[in-house]
Amino acid sequence: MSEQAVPERLGEVIETSTVGFVAECDELHCLPPLGSLVRVNGPADEVIYAVVTYGETGSIDPGRRVVRRGSPDLRDQAIYQQNPELRHVLRSIFTAAAIAYRREGRLSYLLPPLPPPLHYSVERVLPGEAREVTDQPRYFAILAQYRGEIPADQLLAAHVRHLYELRERDRDWLERAARELARIFKHDYDRLVPLLEALDPDLA
Amino acid sequence: MTLDVAAIAEELRRLAAETAAGEHDGWAALEAAVRDLDETDLQERLRTAKTSWLLARATHGYRAVKSCPARPERYCVVATDGSVLNPDRHSPVRYYVINLGSVVLSYGEAPRAHLESRARLYASEEDLYLSDLSRRVPISGTVLGFKRAVEELRHAAELARSIEPPVVVLQDGTLILWGLESQPEFVANWALGPFLETLAQLREARIPVAGFISYPGSSDVMNVLRVSVCDYPLRGMPVNCDHCRARILTEGHRPACDILPDVSDRVLFEQVLKLQPGARSPVYASASTILDRYPEADRIHFFYLHTGTEVARVEIPAWVTRDRVVLDLLQAVIVDQCSRARGYPLALQEAHELAVIRAEERREVEILVDRLLAEHGVVLRRSAKDRSKRGRYV
Repeated sequence: MSEQAVPERLGEVIETSTVGFVAECDELHCLPPLGSLVRVNGPADEVIYAVVTYGETGSIDPGRRVVRRGSPDLRDQAIYQQNPELRHVLRSIFTAAAIAYRREGRLSYLLPPLPPPLHYSVERVLPGEAREVTDQPRYFAILAQYRGEIPADQLLAAHVRHLYELRERDRDWLERAARELARIFKHDYDRLVPLLEALDPDLA
Repeated sequence: MTLDVAAIAEELRRLAAETAAGEHDGWAALEAAVRDLDETDLQERLRTAKTSWLLARATHGYRAVKSCPARPERYCVVATDGSVLNPDRHSPVRYYVINLGSVVLSYGEAPRAHLESRARLYASEEDLYLSDLSRRVPISGTVLGFKRAVEELRHAAELARSIEPPVVVLQDGTLILWGLESQPEFVANWALGPFLETLAQLREARIPVAGFISYPGSSDVMNVLRVSVCDYPLRGMPVNCDHCRARILTEGHRPACDILPDVSDRVLFEQVLKLQPGARSPVYASASTILDRYPEADRIHFFYLHTGTEVARVEIPAWVTRDRVVLDLLQAVIVDQCSRARGYPLALQEAHELAVIRAEERREVEILVDRLLAEHGVVLRRSAKDRSKRGRYV
């Protein structure tokens, strides 16, 4: 995977809090994958790293319901071709949970001191930077406590799978990740086993 | 809750039952009037008739129904709609806002959409008042409505003229500014001038414009049927409604046209003439007197169109009625647009969504004005009545 010079802007923050934020995508349906890493600047020049926890596409106006546009002869992408206004009346949003922040070059695996400001740009984290931030999976504990639209185990599984591919199937990292999960869930065997199975059948 | 719904519910129930029971009264007479319509005799009656109603004058006969032409493979539709924040009598600052929503939808090989809303605030003396030296009319309410109509049309024309044909301009509501009839001359001129200028520009560019009226209440064609059943000509007299109505009181006279039900043209075309989806009625010239002030080529004509879900009224300038290619394009585009948004033109629907100013946005503007005034030391200068409504207490 070639390193891009400039991180790709995905969208901007439309709701914000200490534990995470909601971002609206610049382009309809251009959502970052579940469990992937995004970044946003904090109010004091820090960079906040967050894991994508949920994605959704719907009407911009909550009062307007989305209705069927297709037929047996008009489906999927052709519907968007034939209804060019849809790109303007629909939007994709995603939520992300903060896991770490970097201030003056130093990475802390803690919630950021201040939430990212509204309307700040959310960017995809470049692979090299993502490898660095996720090298030591200490922050898994934060994700394990995630309470939101999806179960925390699903989020962890999606995150580890995404990172494993991004790290070009780095088995050493996967083992470190599995050990960290085993540490977090050492008192909860019923949660741990399906989670490990979801990551790699070899580890079960 | 201050409205006691239970207190009026019984009356409403009775009203609904009566409405349903009387719905088809006089329909046999209406069907007979349609069947027996003699166009030659009718032309003669219309030529001499003196009525207080608007009479629809058919340009190509009263039976010329046209089915839906094929949808063009490529077309562009421009629609604009506006809404206003009226000047607030209770506020110390006087201004109004016109918010225009505009939509350009292109279909064909490379479909694309452009949706935009544009707000403009008006606060200068010449924006707030109209004056003819002796009188000063505030621009608000109905008068502001004319300005909004002008701005809507002007913006749509501006967009349409920059687009490759075929292009159609749609407006929500009537193109007949009949409300100006009751306004002072200088107000009428102020609104009509730019409106007619824009209609002329569209004509010169051969861009058809249509005013779309959903669920129309007009009865111009029904009025023609009333003339056709009038018994005055049988007695050698021209149709004369004033004369006839006066006799109701003096002689207990019963007008011959009372046999026809009191229904609108929409009901006539939907339920009696049974317009098929996509088809349109003949084209009629409107007899609205304000149209005497429109140039002949831009005088508004209209037809009824079955959009697939209802019979709507479509208003067009005279030149469009004479250009069959453009008229067919217009009909096909409106029907296609309606099929995309459950019976109402999609472009107009989206323009409306962009234009509408919601209650919370109105409130936001008021708060902003209050805050900006406060920065200059002007605090709570609203009227006592307005304050009482805002800070409700018992």
